[in-house]
Amino acid sequence: MLTIKGLVKRYGAGDPVLKDLELEVPGEEVVSVIGSSGAGKSTLLRCINRLVEPTSGTITLNGTDFTALGKRDLRIGRRRIGMVFQSFNLVDRLTVMENVQSGRLGYISTWAALTRRYPKQDIQRAFELMERVGIAHYADKRADELSGGERQRVGVIRALMQQPEILLADEPTASLDPKTSEQIMTLLRDLARELKLPVIINIHNVNEARQFSDRIVGMRYGRIIFDDLPAALTDDAMHEIYSGIPHADRQVEGEAA
Amino acid sequence: MTTATDHWRKPPFIANPVLRYGLYAAVLVYIVVTLSTLPIDWARVSQGLTRAGRIFGGAFPPSFERSGLLIDGFMESLKIAILATVGGVLLSVPIAFMAARNIAALPVYYLGRAIIVVARSFHPVIVAIIFVKAVGFGPFAGILTLVVYSIGFVAKLLAERIEEIDPGPVEAMKAAGASFLPTLFYAVFPQIMQRQIGLSIYQLDSNLRASAVVGIVGAGGIGATLANAFGRYDYDFALAITMVIVGVILISEAVSGAIRKRIA
Repeated sequence: MLTIKGLVKRYGAGDPVLKDLELEVPGEEVVSVIGSSGAGKSTLLRCINRLVEPTSGTITLNGTDFTALGKRDLRIGRRRIGMVFQSFNLVDRLTVMENVQSGRLGYISTWAALTRRYPKQDIQRAFELMERVGIAHYADKRADELSGGERQRVGVIRALMQQPEILLADEPTASLDPKTSEQIMTLLRDLARELKLPVIINIHNVNEARQFSDRIVGMRYGRIIFDDLPAALTDDAMHEIYSGIPHADRQVEGEAA
Repeated sequence: MTTATDHWRKPPFIANPVLRYGLYAAVLVYIVVTLSTLPIDWARVSQGLTRAGRIFGGAFPPSFERSGLLIDGFMESLKIAILATVGGVLLSVPIAFMAARNIAALPVYYLGRAIIVVARSFHPVIVAIIFVKAVGFGPFAGILTLVVYSIGFVAKLLAERIEEIDPGPVEAMKAAGASFLPTLFYAVFPQIMQRQIGLSIYQLDSNLRASAVVGIVGAGGIGATLANAFGRYDYDFALAITMVIVGVILISEAVSGAIRKRIA
């Protein structure tokens, strides 16, 4: 279970990007986070694994307070959180297998990583997962030879190689065409079920959010103003989340939360 | 309806006319003053022309009689160039990482930049003079000189390449809990490898050329052979050496160009 309490992120002296955020993601739920650009979705996700350093608040994953971890413990803690990126963030010039195995870099020794001597069970797990998403025959191809959908599959598998306790997906389908985008969303949902893995997805496509998630969180100017089942996301609620007046300090504390 | 104007002129590079013409005039005056104050003795120039004629007359036909000496000199130059490239590139990689702002902490960054600036600030001939004084005549001085020269060039350009990498993969490795070295080797090295290989090949080519120059001040190789030939007024042998240098450099440039195109 992921518990976020009183999360604040402020860049410099300006208005905070995240304002006293509370969020709880229990068990194996697929949670979609929606909201207009600049609402703080990406910052929220990056605060969870501290790619962005939170200003205050606590983030607890299955009993571990991530905000309290020192440098070394944070590195080890990050192995428990998988992340999928909008631009895939693969290493183009490495093979698909090397990219997939880079998800294990937090576990294996530096020497094993440099010499590409991956443990047997890691290779086996990689092939199983790649088989599952249909990219196993690309293992020896360079990552930049793959299409967008295939590349994001590599990105997902890399994250799953960590055997994470939660998966964060930062607009995983924003660089993909509609059909491929749907395939990736289906994949994320199905894998979450199979692996009993909670998933938080930042997403711009509200229809996909409705279709593929168990729960939708709506953000606006650094606050959660909607948190409910997809069916409860009415037009009014949508309007509220996406309405255009950038009044950052409008005091709409999440009634639904 | 107003009629549109039918003439347009490109705005001048320097908008202010006073500044523009002032600058033109200043450049012109400076050139005239320079030419009139530098001690150029036209009588000696004409004497020099006849002397140059005599040198070139003596140089024809080029003499390949002592080709053994020529080949020895070249082999030494090649060895100097190869060793200096290997050493220079090996040292350049860590220095480049030190001098990349997105990788190194600020004090390390300044240290890395400082090393590069020092390595770049002196022409190889000056560095060679220092090393010849320090370790004596011969190829070792040449190797040290070209190592410094290689660092100045390779480390600088490599550092710039490192600063241009796509930060995405680095972020991904961090998110997976990778420590510093594996992150470098997985996310950074693959992105700079191509440039690294291209730079090394270019530097080998460049070192071969430079080894001829630094040889003249005593740092071994074909340059030393050439300097000796001039010193003994063997202009025909000197011409032969010069021709071979040009030939070899053309070949090495063609080869390095072809390889760099292939790996792109």
